[in-house]
Amino acid sequence: MKELLVILFSAILVDNFVLSRFLGICPFLGVSKNVKTAMGMSMAVIIVMVISSALTWPVQFYILYPRNLGYLQTGVFIVIIAALVQIIETFLRKSIPALYRALGIYLPLITTNCAVLGVTILNVDSQYTFVESITHAAGAGLGFMLALFLFSGVRAKVDRADVPKFMKGLPITLVSAGLVSISFFGFKGLIEKLFG
Amino acid sequence: MFGIAMIQASSILTPVLIASAIALLLGIVIVIVSRVFAVPVDTRLEDIKGILPGANCGACGFTGCEGYAQSMADGDTNTGKCPVGGPEVAAELSRYLGVATPSFVPKVAHVHCQGTVDHTQKRFDYRGTMSCNAAQNLFSGPNSCTYGCIGYGDCAVACPYDAIYMANGIAHVDSSKCTACGICVKTCPKYLIEIIPKNLDAYTVKCKNKWPGAQTRKNCTIGCIGCQKCFKTCQYGAITMDGPLAIIDQDKCTHCGECELVCPTGAIVNGLMLGMDDNGQPQSTGTPRKAAMKQEA
Repeated sequence: MKELLVILFSAILVDNFVLSRFLGICPFLGVSKNVKTAMGMSMAVIIVMVISSALTWPVQFYILYPRNLGYLQTGVFIVIIAALVQIIETFLRKSIPALYRALGIYLPLITTNCAVLGVTILNVDSQYTFVESITHAAGAGLGFMLALFLFSGVRAKVDRADVPKFMKGLPITLVSAGLVSISFFGFKGLIEKLFG
Repeated sequence: MFGIAMIQASSILTPVLIASAIALLLGIVIVIVSRVFAVPVDTRLEDIKGILPGANCGACGFTGCEGYAQSMADGDTNTGKCPVGGPEVAAELSRYLGVATPSFVPKVAHVHCQGTVDHTQKRFDYRGTMSCNAAQNLFSGPNSCTYGCIGYGDCAVACPYDAIYMANGIAHVDSSKCTACGICVKTCPKYLIEIIPKNLDAYTVKCKNKWPGAQTRKNCTIGCIGCQKCFKTCQYGAITMDGPLAIIDQDKCTHCGECELVCPTGAIVNGLMLGMDDNGQPQSTGTPRKAAMKQEA
């Protein structure tokens, strides 16, 4: 149980996917303009991350590794994630239209999101068990949500600030993203103190 | 020789087969899922969306053109809710849906403030970002009237139709360009802008302050002081008092103009605003009856 908590909180705070692994930067910059879109995107990312981890782990350990085909993981995982997103979208449109509309454009956008592929490959590389993989994926998704939520607040402030002309728009956004990222380095060592 | 060829063949064949098998399996699953969870798409929805102007402003009361189109596809027969499209779009929608064309009342945004630099003072020298929203966060802005227009033009920037301009420190809506999309209404941090029926002879209380009369007079020479003269004069019950502020119900108003005549400060105004004249002064469609009467007398 302690192991799982360590994995969960490491993924959220210490090894935050956006702010310290630098995965999923595109949605991080693209949809963090306001809290509402940020939450929609994050929800979609959490769902897809958890389900794709649950699918890719057995594929890796029961199909690819026994046949020494570990090198196929990137290609196979991309195909699985793309198909999975398609299936989830079709399923939601029929069964839960409200959630489908809430997630909207963000669900198909995740198909080629490196954060989702990253979490599945990291699960395998870290030799996590099935349950640990799912926990890691949930933590990664929650970390993504936290980063987007915090950064949408930062952006609301930055938009109103009196920024020099040459820094307006994306430059100041990237600089402030860097500062938020640095602030997350303050969590290094937190996990050992809490659970160690 | 043959053995090596076999090993090489299988080391290529196996991954190809496995990758293809996984891809095929996923393909089959997708086909099955899309059959099982097929959703009949309403073709009318796309057509209705095509007729709507696509401004996605939300003035109809829905989340955007898509929401309104969905509502009409589901059986809503009121086709006159889109102020941007106006009567043409309403007529086309009615033709498409086969319903009666509703009487379309054009609307317009209206700024409820006259507190120009001549009528108000500055409480302090504001040197921050030239944005009403930012200034509002600093002691409700630098103007003496904290209910009135700050004048940094957030609404003018937000207006997608270039219908709002700033003159003498307050915002004016050019009613000939305004489409009543309502974006400025949401932008104004003072909630001064309202959507009213587009009547060139409209009477409005161009003030939103909720102070008692004495305090209003101290801070603005043209604000509503809550004297209730207009409220008592109106024979049609179109004027109500919201505390110390008179409000004219545009649906009940008969445009007799009695309220404008009795208003001691000039807070009640006739007409909508037009664009700037050559001297940079805002023009109005209204006729200031009070001034005309004075001239006659």
